[in-house]
Amino acid sequence: SDGAPGPGHWDADAAAGGLVDLAVPGGAFSGRRAPCLKNPVLGPGVLQAIRIFHTRQPSLAPIPCVPEYGGKVCLGLIPKEFFQFLYPKTGVRGPYVLGTGLILYSLSKEIYVITAETFSAISTIGLLIYVVKKYGASIGEFADKLSEQKIAQLEEVKQASIQQIQDAIDTEKSQQALVQKRHYLFDVQRNNIAMALELTYRERLHRVYREVKNRLDYHISVQNMMRRKEQEHMINWVEKHVVQSISAQQEKETIAKCIAGLKLLAKKAPSQPVL
Amino acid sequence: MNENLFASFAAPSMMGLPIVVLIVMFPSILFPTPNRLINNRLISIQQWLIQLTSKQMLAIHNQKGRTWALMLMSLILFIGSTNLLGLLPHSFTPTTQLSMNLGMAIPLWAGTVITGFRYKTKASLAHFLPQGTPLPLIPMLVVIETISLFIQPMALAVRLTANITAGHLLIHLIGGATLALINISATTAFITFIILILLTILEFAVALIQAYVFTLLVSLYLHDNT
Repeated sequence: SDGAPGPGHWDADAAAGGLVDLAVPGGAFSGRRAPCLKNPVLGPGVLQAIRIFHTRQPSLAPIPCVPEYGGKVCLGLIPKEFFQFLYPKTGVRGPYVLGTGLILYSLSKEIYVITAETFSAISTIGLLIYVVKKYGASIGEFADKLSEQKIAQLEEVKQASIQQIQDAIDTEKSQQALVQKRHYLFDVQRNNIAMALELTYRERLHRVYREVKNRLDYHISVQNMMRRKEQEHMINWVEKHVVQSISAQQEKETIAKCIAGLKLLAKKAPSQPVL
Repeated sequence: MNENLFASFAAPSMMGLPIVVLIVMFPSILFPTPNRLINNRLISIQQWLIQLTSKQMLAIHNQKGRTWALMLMSLILFIGSTNLLGLLPHSFTPTTQLSMNLGMAIPLWAGTVITGFRYKTKASLAHFLPQGTPLPLIPMLVVIETISLFIQPMALAVRLTANITAGHLLIHLIGGATLALINISATTAFITFIILILLTILEFAVALIQAYVFTLLVSLYLHDNT
């Protein structure tokens, strides 16, 4: 939780409350807020000094968070807490005056001697400051990019795994949906079979009908033939007997009558106009 | 001048206690152990650099040579960091001491040679005679090759010592020249100061290059012998 000091700063309350439990086995200070730890300048040092090393297995979890930003510094060397420490007594310009005074004192009393090393120090430190000011940000970005790549790689693995499982779930769901629709297939097959059965039944029925009709036609035609034969036989018998019954004399008389009749007709015919 | 030119190369001691041990052990705390999956910027950059260097340096070695990976990487990190820290003002560079460089060079070189003689005796002995030498020259050439073999550790140590020491001396001298010229002519002093800056840039490069060269040569001797 971000309190008043902000992230990355010396959080006196958290130190006094939380970390002290780690420092002493059994957490003897857990009930109190140690006042020596509230001092922002000396607090970290005191905490490290009272930390007891290797009395038991180090607790591996939860590991404390890496702060996102380092402590704020002035001139790249002196932490801002020092300036705040001096502020109540000497104001804003106090620390700078102190620094300048110390440097001038050491120079004038030859505590710090200007030798050849001074110039090499100026050139080396100047070079370092120039490089840090110019390329510092880009190197920091590069380091952040390295971490970013590592996280992205792991994230990709995680996403690929999630995607795989999601695909499996979708496939399973579609399979289940297909199973729901299976009955259409079975209905169609059932209908097909029913139609085939019907067809076969009707076909056989028709064949039976045809066979029976054949038999009956046969009987009818036999009857017809018998009747015709009988008729012909009777006609022949009647003709034969009629012809037998006609004597020769009767035959001559009939023929003479027919001729007389024809002559009569022939006399009458030419009197009528031809149409 | 109340100190002679070579005072900065004396083994440092405080109240009679040799603190050179502390100075030699100091660079190791500048390489923190990566504790987490995502580390801070310093460790990320160091990890990336070490990966880059080790991949490039161990590419030429076979399985047996790659068992030396930790040794070679520690070597280049130690020499590089020690040389770079020595460029800070008023600091002591352990690699200017011939004793220390001999102590690094001789065991490593001897390790490679003994490995070669132990596992590939015939090939190691064959190194003493280059291919295609005419028959009368053979004895002399064997002697020359033997001398060249035994000079390798000396060359390694002396090369490193001489380079770093010469660099420090030059910086010291030119700084002294600048100091002396300030009272005489400010312009000349300024020019000399520019020369000093250029030299400092060179020295930064030399610090890294010497580390690289040392490790590369050890790696080459290893490659010959595995």
